[in-house]
Amino acid sequence: MSAVVKTVNLVKIYQDGALPVPAVRGVDLQVEPGEFVAVMGPSGSGKSTLIHMLGGLDARTSGEIWLDGQRVDTLSESAWALLRRKKIGFVFQFFNLVANMTVGDNVELPALLAGASPKVARERRESLLAALNLTDRAGAAPAQLSGGEQQRVALARALANEPSLLLADEPTGNLDSRNTRDVLRLLSDVHKQGQTIVMVTHDARVASLADRLVSLFDGEIVDDGRIARRRTRTAGEVIDLR
Amino acid sequence: MSTALAGSRWIKADLRARKGQALLTVLAVAGIVAALITAATLLEDGTNPWRSLSAQTDGAHVWLYTKDSPQVALGGIDGVTQTAGPYRSAPVTVAQDGKKEPAALRAMPATPPAVAHPLVAEGRWLDPSRPDGVVVERSFADSLGIGIGAPFTIIALSGERHTLYVRGIAHTAEQGFYPEWTPGLAYVLPVMLDRIEPMLGRSEWVTGLRLADPEASQVVSQRVVVMLEDRLQRVYTWREVRSAMELDNRLLGTLLGLFGVVGLVAAALALANAAGGRVLGQLRDLATLKSMGFTRGQIALLLLVEHGALGLLGVAIGALAGWGVMAAVLGASSVAPIPVLAIIVGTALVVLAAVGVPALRGGRTPPIPDVPTGPPRGHLSRLARLALLVRLPPALVLGTRDAFTRRVPAFLTAFGLAVPMMMITIGLGVWATLDNFLAHPEQVGQHAALYVKPDKLEPVVAERLAGQDRDVAEVYPGTDVNALAPGEARSVRVRAIGSSTRPYPFPVVEGRMYARQGEAVAGQGLLDLLGVKIGDRVRLTVGGTPLIVRVVGRTVEPEQDGEVLSVGLDSLAAKDSVPPEYYALALKPGADPAEVRGRLLAGSGEGLDVQAAVNPADRLSIIRIVIVALIAVLALIGLANLLTASALGLRDHAFDLAVLKAMGLTPRQVMATLVTGTGLLVVLGVGVGAAAGVSVVTGLIDLQGHTSGVGAGIGRAPSPLTLTVAVLVAVGAALAVALIPARRAARAQVPVATR
Repeated sequence: MSAVVKTVNLVKIYQDGALPVPAVRGVDLQVEPGEFVAVMGPSGSGKSTLIHMLGGLDARTSGEIWLDGQRVDTLSESAWALLRRKKIGFVFQFFNLVANMTVGDNVELPALLAGASPKVARERRESLLAALNLTDRAGAAPAQLSGGEQQRVALARALANEPSLLLADEPTGNLDSRNTRDVLRLLSDVHKQGQTIVMVTHDARVASLADRLVSLFDGEIVDDGRIARRRTRTAGEVIDLR
Repeated sequence: MSTALAGSRWIKADLRARKGQALLTVLAVAGIVAALITAATLLEDGTNPWRSLSAQTDGAHVWLYTKDSPQVALGGIDGVTQTAGPYRSAPVTVAQDGKKEPAALRAMPATPPAVAHPLVAEGRWLDPSRPDGVVVERSFADSLGIGIGAPFTIIALSGERHTLYVRGIAHTAEQGFYPEWTPGLAYVLPVMLDRIEPMLGRSEWVTGLRLADPEASQVVSQRVVVMLEDRLQRVYTWREVRSAMELDNRLLGTLLGLFGVVGLVAAALALANAAGGRVLGQLRDLATLKSMGFTRGQIALLLLVEHGALGLLGVAIGALAGWGVMAAVLGASSVAPIPVLAIIVGTALVVLAAVGVPALRGGRTPPIPDVPTGPPRGHLSRLARLALLVRLPPALVLGTRDAFTRRVPAFLTAFGLAVPMMMITIGLGVWATLDNFLAHPEQVGQHAALYVKPDKLEPVVAERLAGQDRDVAEVYPGTDVNALAPGEARSVRVRAIGSSTRPYPFPVVEGRMYARQGEAVAGQGLLDLLGVKIGDRVRLTVGGTPLIVRVVGRTVEPEQDGEVLSVGLDSLAAKDSVPPEYYALALKPGADPAEVRGRLLAGSGEGLDVQAAVNPADRLSIIRIVIVALIAVLALIGLANLLTASALGLRDHAFDLAVLKAMGLTPRQVMATLVTGTGLLVVLGVGVGAAAGVSVVTGLIDLQGHTSGVGAGIGRAPSPLTLTVAVLVAVGAALAVALIPARRAARAQVPVATR
């Protein structure tokens, strides 16, 4: 079975004036279908840059990115956009719901964009919102929702087209512990249904939910290991270093 | 297709979220387009009245005069669709208030014909039950000063007098306006004409031909000449009528054009500013859309469609409104289709260009939604530091700093207010210039308010009568003659008035007044026509006699496109100057010309012909309406700009507000900060606009005066009081508008962690 996403010697260097600032320095990462990978690292370690490059939001400086067996780092910005419609779902720290659209419209938008008919988009939205327990909020504006609810809507939106890869950038970074727990439970449920997830976080408890933990430091992978599936509820202590 | 569906959802949601702003954008564009169409139509109608008159009267395109009723089938000529007449027409003289005017009395049936039917403006058409009725052509009636019911005394060629009564006043497109086109025109029933002029040999027959293609009038009139040969007296086409009616009103045209173009630029700025501000406010949403799979081009298209649709909707509404107003006021056929179409297409293109730039910029938004989109943070500007130094309240300092954090929108806002303000100032300057014409007619060459022609009396008697009136300050004998200029196929006007030693006080703006025989002053138009400058000698021919004068000065000359040479009466040969043709009466300050005229007429037993001078401002009074309408539209544009600016200011500072409150600023101080931020730009824009307007208005009007032959020296800036009031009203209104959202924002509970 081929990897969902694979990077080869991926490098990103920002240009700050005349000064080159390396953010990602030669990352080789391979994510298999159905895997849940948590990327951890301190601020400035390049984890957000990495996940943005995986979704094509940011262009790489050098190296290769392969998605579903197709080389994608050479794609144009527009080709990336078309690819994202079907294959990639994004969840951001600040939810990023389109403020003027209702919750329902926010969830329908990607489906419409991917070519679904309004009827199909509506059905998909209803099933997603029902699964996330948000059916009664479909007509509300995002601003009327709590942070946790907004993030659940964002998750529904990201999953609307059943993407091969779900990229989550600090999905719980802006939530309180209760909402964090809700969102993580949802991610975990989605993962159990076979969804491939790459999640960036700096919270060890959040990371413990994943199958595999990749640690970044100064733009390089310093550690990459599977987390033992023995779930003791004391997070952060059962990391099995290889 | 899928993108269109998704995109339309987003556009709908976005428009729903900002109904007010969208409405204002539509209104501003609609206002400008309506104003442009109104202005163009008024201009077209004012300068070319023939077109609408012809349309309203179903006018004929070729008119021919024959000795007897034409016996050939004129209607059979190729291209002729309908004919009017032939009508019998007899030359008569109209005696009115001691004046005698030449007129053509036209026999017309009681039922107006289908083609070239006079359009009754007042009263009613001829009625067989009252055969002594007459319908007088509008300009002729105006010139005679008669209204409905007035007696209309005519003298037939036989010398017999008949008194008819005016039943109606009608427009016609068959001849030009009196007195530029003589004889004047009056319609009577055929029975009446037979009674007044029984001799058929003394009358002519008039026939009008309506053509399928007006352009073919030349060919058709040639055919007429060939067919009728020597029975034809004369023939003319609609082109002659049109050019006779055309008003050389270039001041109005230039002014409207200037207002229109600058208004359009201002509207484009307002649109670009509104669309740009909206895009700035949506960067996060746009990034989110991109992360979901919208491409750069699709985002740009989305924005172009959204904002462009608002603009185009405005164009459509404006076009409908402008057309509707003009059709209601002047009649549906009076709206010229070509200028209106040009305006619609032009504004549509400007709208698309104006929203295209921000749309492209929006398309280039990086797709990472978490990049902060706040304003660039920076040091306190020099201005803000200065404000701190002079110990201004902190709210003002913060507001001052905020005003300039975003350079481009700040510039657009200030500039977007400066342009309308400049145009308003120019409009006020034109208004002041017109007022000045009225208040000081002597500055536009109208020192004399009345012109007296001896008519039935001896010139000496006329001069004595005029001089004896208690309100007449000065009597200047004068004569107008036509002179041929060397190398010119046409004649120019030489106005000999006063004497060289006691000259008529012309408003000399360059050089000096003539002081002895052989010296002259001229209008700009004449100087340009002959290619001479002050100090040069000019040689003209007046009725075979050479007139050689030295031009020593330039006057403001509103008549004849400025192609007038003014000399003392003694510079003219005696055969041309004795006796004088008229006497120009300068009145004492405060005297009423109408009263003096009445007294002179009464005193001379209606033996004098007394005419009041027509002030150029009276002919331009339509400009005032246009100025008021345009100021309203410009204010609307300024308002649209302002709302964008304050919306952007609020968005930029939504997060700061919480911090400011946490630091201990009261809601009032927060409000002051926000209002200062916008207000500073307002004051800057309004100030710069007013200053620019004042500095160009005099020059602009003078330039216009120069090109129209009147000559420089007429332009007036608005009075300091008017200007101060205009600036204060603009700034006050702007601050009041900025205050509303600022108040709301200052009161709102803004949590610190909204992001």
